[in-house]
Amino acid sequence: MNDERFDTTVSTTCGYCGVGCRLEAHTRSDRVVSISPAADGPANRGHTCLKGRFAHQFSRSRERLTTPLIREGGELRAASWDEALQRIATELGGIRAAHGADAIAGLASSRATNEDCWAMQRLMRAAIGTNNIDNCSRVCHSPTSYALRASLGYSGATGSFDDIEAADAAIIIGANPTEGHPVVGARIKQAALRGLQLVTIDPRRIELADHAVVHLSPRPGTNAAIMLGLAHVAHRDGLIDRAFIDARTEGFGAYEELLALYDPAVVQEISGVPAADLERAAHVYGEAGEACVLWGLGVTEHKYGSEVAQLICSLALMTGKIGRPGSALLPLRGQNNVQGSSDMGALPDTYSGYRRVDDEEVAQAFEARWGVALSRRPGLKIPQMFDAAVAGTLKAMYIFGEDVAQTDPNTTHVVHALESLDFLICQDIFETETTRYADVILPASAFLEKTGTFTNAERRIQLVEAAITPPGDAHTDLEILRDVSRALGHELDFESPQDVMREIAALTPEFAGVTYERLGRSGLQWPVQADGTDAPILYEHEFHRPGGRAHIAALPYKEPGDAADEDFPLVLVTGRRLQHYNAGTMTRRTANLELMDHDWLEIHPDDAARLWIGDGDLVSVRSRVGRIEVEARVTERIEPGHVFTAFHFPEVRTNLLVGSSADVNTSCPEYKVVAVDVRPVAEEPSRTPALAGPAA
Amino acid sequence: MRVTVDGSAVVVEPGASVLEAARAAGAAVPTLCFDERMAPFGACRVCLVGVHGPDGADTVVASCTTPCREGMVVDTHDPGARRVARAVVELVLSELPAAPARHTELAAVVRDLGVDGSRWSGAVHAERRDTRHPYLAFQHELCISCGRCVRACDEIQGAFALTAVGRGFDANVAAGIDAGFRDSACVSCGACADTCPTDAITELSLLAIAGATEDDSASSP
Repeated sequence: MNDERFDTTVSTTCGYCGVGCRLEAHTRSDRVVSISPAADGPANRGHTCLKGRFAHQFSRSRERLTTPLIREGGELRAASWDEALQRIATELGGIRAAHGADAIAGLASSRATNEDCWAMQRLMRAAIGTNNIDNCSRVCHSPTSYALRASLGYSGATGSFDDIEAADAAIIIGANPTEGHPVVGARIKQAALRGLQLVTIDPRRIELADHAVVHLSPRPGTNAAIMLGLAHVAHRDGLIDRAFIDARTEGFGAYEELLALYDPAVVQEISGVPAADLERAAHVYGEAGEACVLWGLGVTEHKYGSEVAQLICSLALMTGKIGRPGSALLPLRGQNNVQGSSDMGALPDTYSGYRRVDDEEVAQAFEARWGVALSRRPGLKIPQMFDAAVAGTLKAMYIFGEDVAQTDPNTTHVVHALESLDFLICQDIFETETTRYADVILPASAFLEKTGTFTNAERRIQLVEAAITPPGDAHTDLEILRDVSRALGHELDFESPQDVMREIAALTPEFAGVTYERLGRSGLQWPVQADGTDAPILYEHEFHRPGGRAHIAALPYKEPGDAADEDFPLVLVTGRRLQHYNAGTMTRRTANLELMDHDWLEIHPDDAARLWIGDGDLVSVRSRVGRIEVEARVTERIEPGHVFTAFHFPEVRTNLLVGSSADVNTSCPEYKVVAVDVRPVAEEPSRTPALAGPAA
Repeated sequence: MRVTVDGSAVVVEPGASVLEAARAAGAAVPTLCFDERMAPFGACRVCLVGVHGPDGADTVVASCTTPCREGMVVDTHDPGARRVARAVVELVLSELPAAPARHTELAAVVRDLGVDGSRWSGAVHAERRDTRHPYLAFQHELCISCGRCVRACDEIQGAFALTAVGRGFDANVAAGIDAGFRDSACVSCGACADTCPTDAITELSLLAIAGATEDDSASSP
């Protein structure tokens, strides 16, 4: 492109959601002035959304961290990199000597590149000597990862977004793609306008429900019953693929027995979804030649989220809708690189490629490469880290690019944990709710300022190229991790992000053939063979499990961890809005704030009328663990008995309300079912109409 | 199916347009209302080419909306087609208050067709701008009614926020019922600004830069 308005144009990959739009970043005088979609982007095909296209001014915000900060006498002060690194080496060295390496924990950032996440997990494992490393997939799609591995083998989508256009039908459950993943949302909407038969399942009437054949609104926490009910009807009406079941799966017998218990009347009783709607939905999916299932955090962020994700796999397996163009299971990953951070082994129990830390052969391969002895003991997951901090056994944390004090559940507990630590390092681009508790803050780089790779929700590894330089004395994350590791006595022998990718490829079978040259403009979908062949569709011939067979899991519906009762009569569901992104650290520092400058609580007109709440009123929302105040918005998009809000604004601090209930297999918090009490905030006395007052 | 473009044979899929065949053959056919991301529209007539059908009849067709037929012979240099295309672009230019900015697709088409200003003088659009949205700006005086923004909104995003309004000289584009982007169904995806060939819809951040580089572009075409 040759445009006189710009100094440079750099092709890169979007740093917002997990869709992985390819972008062209146009710069002038080391500032991004415009971003346009790459016409050849495989996921976005010449389109992007208001976050990817417009929300880039944060990169030159005056509030960027531009120098290291260290705490002295209770206050943070600017410091040199040498001072900051020295402080880290001294403090972490002391804690390790006194309490052992497992008294230290780190979080890798799913906003950062694969190379950064690799360096972070190597730092924790090799420089410090612990497996206490985790990433934010813990609080989003860890149940999906668990389920896909248990049922099919690999922790990733079975196909690509291109399968949406190839499908005859699709189920979207627990996701609101037109807001959370706008470009995929637009692709689904266009497909629906051209005849894709859509089933939407969500307690909210999401925009795509308007384009669906049928929309199901189950009570939060009853997804398992829905998936079993859909399978019951498909099984009863002969919409199953017996040949596929016999040749390629195991466990069907127990599943068949379980399904008998979930006829539509039973499911209606559990979920509130009319039996006729469930029947209709089952037929839309079952009768389609090719069909996809797409899901989001409405599936996973539940007490039994991992089981529901397994039941999604079971339904697809029973109907043989997997491993072909148009028949894919597509979890919509939240962060730009949450697939990658987990692939890289920024997890307490696995090295890259999801190989267990106690697998002797794997551990020895890493020891040989890194030249240090590595722990075989699985580390702490994020919620366990906070528990250990409060209990006093975890003494230090190194939090890289994550605002746990705003985004993790049970904020009060998280803050208590952060306050309990002896030493907290934060590596970030802005001060956040979490950095308030930091002893050292390291100024890092945004995605527009560094080079590496992100892996999107299609398992597609795509190049990220620096368009501008980090501001002030901020460094790239890889430089910082290398310096910290060196200060701790372990040399990360990487001159460039490409060196890191060479090590990843050497130590990770699924990345064997990955090189930057091969990634080119359209990336590669792992597993990538040594010769560079990638895998847009998994499981065409066999599953990645013993014997090559998939496992059809038979898991009954169980009640969620929280439920409405007399004291807390409404159920709160949380999620995302189109204009903002997660903690809002980036989008709140752009003009997206003009498009949406505060959050609100969605409430059904029936509930609003009963509680004397009007549109725009300030309301108090109280749960078993916390209380917030937020503006009410009365809308029929939400079902009676439920309320909805997002968590983009620190002023609202929605996660004060969320308790500690979590997925039974992965500890993913139950953000989607919180019993609350909602009532109007008392009005100013002057606004209350006076009754007959005393004579003046 | 086999067709011939400017003397070279090319094989295309059934249903392919003459424009696709021409581009497959490496011929440069200028377009103005065409965008690969959307269905062909056939409004601007800039993509006209000469076609010699198997029946021997010679015609001039809009290549973007004309499907190939077996044995079709296409001439992208057909003098009649080029003359009409140039005249169409001259008519477009005659309504604009200034020559198109150098970076725009319209300026590129003007260069490709060798158009040198417009032979026709007459009414030009008065400046009418709308900068109420934090990112997207209307410069209504630059709208040439190609319909690309409306179709991008419908066919890429699916927001259906933009509408073609007015007739003749007054034809233009509006968000909602001329409510501006913010008070329409617009989701701020920017697909309209991305496809606009004239900057009638553009980004506020680019408006400032366009001002800075105006000196370079004012002299062209």
